[in-house]
Amino acid sequence: MTKLLEVNDLRKYFPIQKGIFQRTIGYVKAVDGISFDVQRGETLGLVGESGCGKTTAGRCLLRLIPPTSGSFIFGEEQVDLAKLSHQELRPFRRRIQMIFQDPHASLNPRMTVGDIVGEPMRVNRTETGSALQDRIVELLESVGLRSQDTRRYPHAFSGGQRQRIGIARALALQPELIVADEPVSALDVSVQAQILNLLSELREKFQLSYIFIAHDLSVVEHISDRVAVMYLGKIVEISDAETLYQSPKHPYTEALISAVPLPDPSVQRKREHIRLEGDVPDPSQPPTGCYFHPRCRYATDICKQETPELRQITEGVQVACHHSDTLALQGV
Amino acid sequence: MASAEKTSDQTPLLEISGLKTIFPTDDGIVNAVNDVSFSIARGQTVGVVGESGCGKSITGLSMLQLVPSPGRIEAGEILFYRNADDEPLDIAQVSPKSELMRQIRGNEIAIIFQEPMTSLNPVYTVGNQIAEAVMLHDQVDKKTARERAIEMIARVGIPAPAQRVDEYPHQLSGGMRQRIMIAMALCCSPTLLIADEPTTALDVTIQAQVLGLMQELQAEMGMAIMLITHDLGVIADLADEVVVMYSGRVVERGSVDDIFYNPLHPYTQGLLKSIPVLGRTPQSTLPSIPGTVPHPLALPDGCSFGPRCPERMPKCDEMPELVGINGKTENDGHAVRCWLHTDV
Repeated sequence: MTKLLEVNDLRKYFPIQKGIFQRTIGYVKAVDGISFDVQRGETLGLVGESGCGKTTAGRCLLRLIPPTSGSFIFGEEQVDLAKLSHQELRPFRRRIQMIFQDPHASLNPRMTVGDIVGEPMRVNRTETGSALQDRIVELLESVGLRSQDTRRYPHAFSGGQRQRIGIARALALQPELIVADEPVSALDVSVQAQILNLLSELREKFQLSYIFIAHDLSVVEHISDRVAVMYLGKIVEISDAETLYQSPKHPYTEALISAVPLPDPSVQRKREHIRLEGDVPDPSQPPTGCYFHPRCRYATDICKQETPELRQITEGVQVACHHSDTLALQGV
Repeated sequence: MASAEKTSDQTPLLEISGLKTIFPTDDGIVNAVNDVSFSIARGQTVGVVGESGCGKSITGLSMLQLVPSPGRIEAGEILFYRNADDEPLDIAQVSPKSELMRQIRGNEIAIIFQEPMTSLNPVYTVGNQIAEAVMLHDQVDKKTARERAIEMIARVGIPAPAQRVDEYPHQLSGGMRQRIMIAMALCCSPTLLIADEPTTALDVTIQAQVLGLMQELQAEMGMAIMLITHDLGVIADLADEVVVMYSGRVVERGSVDDIFYNPLHPYTQGLLKSIPVLGRTPQSTLPSIPGTVPHPLALPDGCSFGPRCPERMPKCDEMPELVGINGKTENDGHAVRCWLHTDV
């Protein structure tokens, strides 16, 4: 596999401003120095609880919001997308697309489905005239909609179908990487499975890579090859999906896995439940040392003082924990 | 979380039979809840599961006569055994605005909703809001009500209750707000708590805290819980009995083990198969249910699940009845609404 994207030390700090002069009195470190890479044809899952910075990270990658620092080396050209001007970025924009969470808010209600799916191609002048129409129909069919649907408006579709429209729009410019931000969390259970299957199918068909952002660990496990767990703007663990869930190496990952109720009553009765105390801390005033230490049941003095670096412990497994060598944590 | 011992003693607390709640609209009548029957025993947890629009929330609201206008209860009984010895009271016959209904709400049956921010009043402190509920129901003075509020805040596991009591909802996190809602719901020791998607808006670690808290309080106070959710994991974690709803009807009902290990209705089977299970899913296609939930104004003839059902047969053009399995009646044990399991 070849590397499609390499993210180095991505940071996004939002200033907190106060007073009539809008003086900056501090920063919310939404994304606080994360590094990872995405291989061609791979799905990288990004999980974490609300406020951990997973969505901000995704938006920075598309330069929908400007990152504070960091580099994203993309494609065979090895171009650093973070440094490009808006003009220089244009040819790359079409190669990275996004799928949004809320299929109701992300489609313009005044545009027909054909216009919505065709818009990226019109803007980029990749197709015109009847070729454009053919391409729209082809895209709609590839996501399981019908050619008659081009003239209908988004309100006529159910949530799952709207998400399909959003996916067709993301595919319009034949991207190499798709950032999917909670693409199934607004959908009903039975429809969720359809969309997950569609995403896997399209990945094979068009050789796509995904960055799949979600809070639902079971969904992320299902679709991802590798998973990165975020907590308070930092990645605490990255590993391949199976290893992560069977033998987590970071206490936060362990607690997250333990908190997911399994749809199996007898297993659920037998499981040991780790109940994390308290809430995620305020990201403008993160704790000292390891950000997770106030809620961690294995925390020692070193955790209060020193921030652990993300380091590789075995092939493909990176963890940011002082005690990862000595802890034996339970998986699913 | 299985440690919390259940105090269920099988005497019925609430029996719903043939409940029908309708919403007249310009385009026709929506049967949001259609011929729903199930019962809740004292101290028991009954999970009601289904996808959006299946009528699970409206069932909960019907039980408190809180169905939003223009909806109304059209038929059926909601028998509520206020005291084990007395004759039951049919809530379906009680007027929504009557004094009696007000006494039942909060005092005997309490409800918590999905979004704690919209259920709390932003301009009053949380202590005020809990104290208000206490004063309304228990006729105590302000000072005692405040003390009770602090006590309840402590009981739902919020640190520093004496300070938190004077804070406003926006100063609390989502998990804490939901704890406040639980405190408010439980301050009058109801015999039944209706929890409508209580943890859907919360993160998993906070969800685990709140679900654990509900189990602890149930063990302590002995109330029954009707847990409305779409999350089968939450159901497996908490419920004793499960009611599966689809398009306003109960399609299957049984103990939590019946539903998870011996599901009989093709919808229940499809639902269980279509969810990715942590640690168990191979990297392949999920078996999904084709199509979508039918529009409530354009329900198919016969079984509403028919058009999506892999086992569809000609008979499915007629609506099957909910029937008991293994020689039991439909009110007792495992019951299913499907022609595959209906002996003629």
